[in-house]
Amino acid sequence: MIQEEQKNEHREWTELNMGPQHPSTHGVLRLKVKLDGETVKEVEPIIGYLHRNAEKICELDYYCDSLIYFDRMDYVAAMNMEVGYLEAAEKLLNIPPPERAQWIRVIMAELGRIAAHLVWAGAFGLDLGMLSPFFYCFVQREKILRIFTEICGSRQETNYMSIGGVYQDINENIIYMIEEFTKEFPDKLEEIFNAFVKNDIFMSRNKGIGILEPDVAIQYAVTGPMLRASGIEYDVRKAEPYLVYDKLNFDIPVSYKKDNLARFLVRFEEMRQSVRIVKQAIKKIPDGPYFNPKAKKSLMIRLRGEGEVYARTESPKGEFGVYLVGDGGVKPYRVRVRSPSLRNLSVIRHLGKDVLIADLIAISGTIDLVFGEVDR
Amino acid sequence: MVEVLEETTGKDGRKVLKVAKENLLALLSDLKDNGFTHLSLITGIDRKSKLEVVYHLHNLTKNEYVVVKTETLDERVPSATGLFKSADWDEREQYDLMGIVFEGHPNLKRLFLPDSWVGHPLRKNYDLSKVQYINMDENGDDYATFDPGDGW
Repeated sequence: MIQEEQKNEHREWTELNMGPQHPSTHGVLRLKVKLDGETVKEVEPIIGYLHRNAEKICELDYYCDSLIYFDRMDYVAAMNMEVGYLEAAEKLLNIPPPERAQWIRVIMAELGRIAAHLVWAGAFGLDLGMLSPFFYCFVQREKILRIFTEICGSRQETNYMSIGGVYQDINENIIYMIEEFTKEFPDKLEEIFNAFVKNDIFMSRNKGIGILEPDVAIQYAVTGPMLRASGIEYDVRKAEPYLVYDKLNFDIPVSYKKDNLARFLVRFEEMRQSVRIVKQAIKKIPDGPYFNPKAKKSLMIRLRGEGEVYARTESPKGEFGVYLVGDGGVKPYRVRVRSPSLRNLSVIRHLGKDVLIADLIAISGTIDLVFGEVDR
Repeated sequence: MVEVLEETTGKDGRKVLKVAKENLLALLSDLKDNGFTHLSLITGIDRKSKLEVVYHLHNLTKNEYVVVKTETLDERVPSATGLFKSADWDEREQYDLMGIVFEGHPNLKRLFLPDSWVGHPLRKNYDLSKVQYINMDENGDDYATFDPGDGW
């Protein structure tokens, strides 16, 4: 036994370079992999290919202008990024949004979460060689994007919210569209779900692969569905409720299996819960102004903020935090973004040890990477 | 017991502990023993005359939050990688963009920018007018240069 181990030490490892243009890396992730046969011995992610230094750009702009850079961080869930930034900015500038705007934001954020998870599910299927679920997912996502187009004229980079409320009120037509969507989506979701779980290859490639122990997850500051799939019931929406999440009824899905399949199941259950939230919110949405008059468009660039605020929200990827430091000027002094994907990616150094190279693709698929957010 | 210079509550209602640089690691390990096992974020702030480093720590079971602040005049701060694994990439990012040197970090390289990049972009005195171009060498690694070269 000892002899064998010694032999292994002297065996030469093959170095393989995956990415940054590899289709399974969801953008521009580059993995330097050391292989012993087909077993991964060491994996080192190299990032920064999409780095634009959004933090510096935000420092050079007015508070209201920074919003579009947040849209382009997690570009598949722009609404959630906007909610995250505005939570911090509105606290710093003392401009709370009115009640109606908060409800609208919750609806948009949850629709955004469904859209982001659908993109993830489709792309994850592609990683494992399943082509058709990708189309099922994107057809459903397109319905959400049509709602977004109706609301603000843009599909992905919505730029819908603004400091002190939202840019436009929602009308009956949009409420009807959202209601129709919540009515027909649950059945379609089960169809997509079955397309995955009734596939034996999919199940055997994910069951028991990529086990992430809860204490390791905390050490690496993993958040979001990945943390919940490791058996820790933690969600910012419940732990530190923002907007009107404390007035809504929903559950936090948790799995104790800790593997790839657990992360898959948690994300699907999250979509079901999001539908539940949208259904409640669309009924409870109150009348009233959708915009705080303190933040009129003509006054927007004169807003001054002082002090330090850290606000965190639950984005589809995990805990999205924005740390704003103001010095009393019209531009922020320092903007710091806590991107959940970056921390979730850092755990691949631990998960990618002693697994088969094909499983490494499956593991990196379950992390849900969006490189606009990892590199910023 | 670690000496805390100042204890305040921030604008967002979070507890802020100010601590001298020498006592930083002792305070962080104290907090870790008290359940603050989740190091959420490390932020460097350029205050022109000095650099401020802010640690956001989180207790997941009791749902508590604490912010630890420290200052440095010589760009050097002890590294928290021995206590938290998440500090690894956070510190590399702050070294990359802010130029804070974390003493004791096992692999203090730039995280986003290529190693040959000149300057730290988030510093207030960083010259934005000097354009640096990124090229690739024969090993596939990036390097930065002031010379635009043929490709541009």
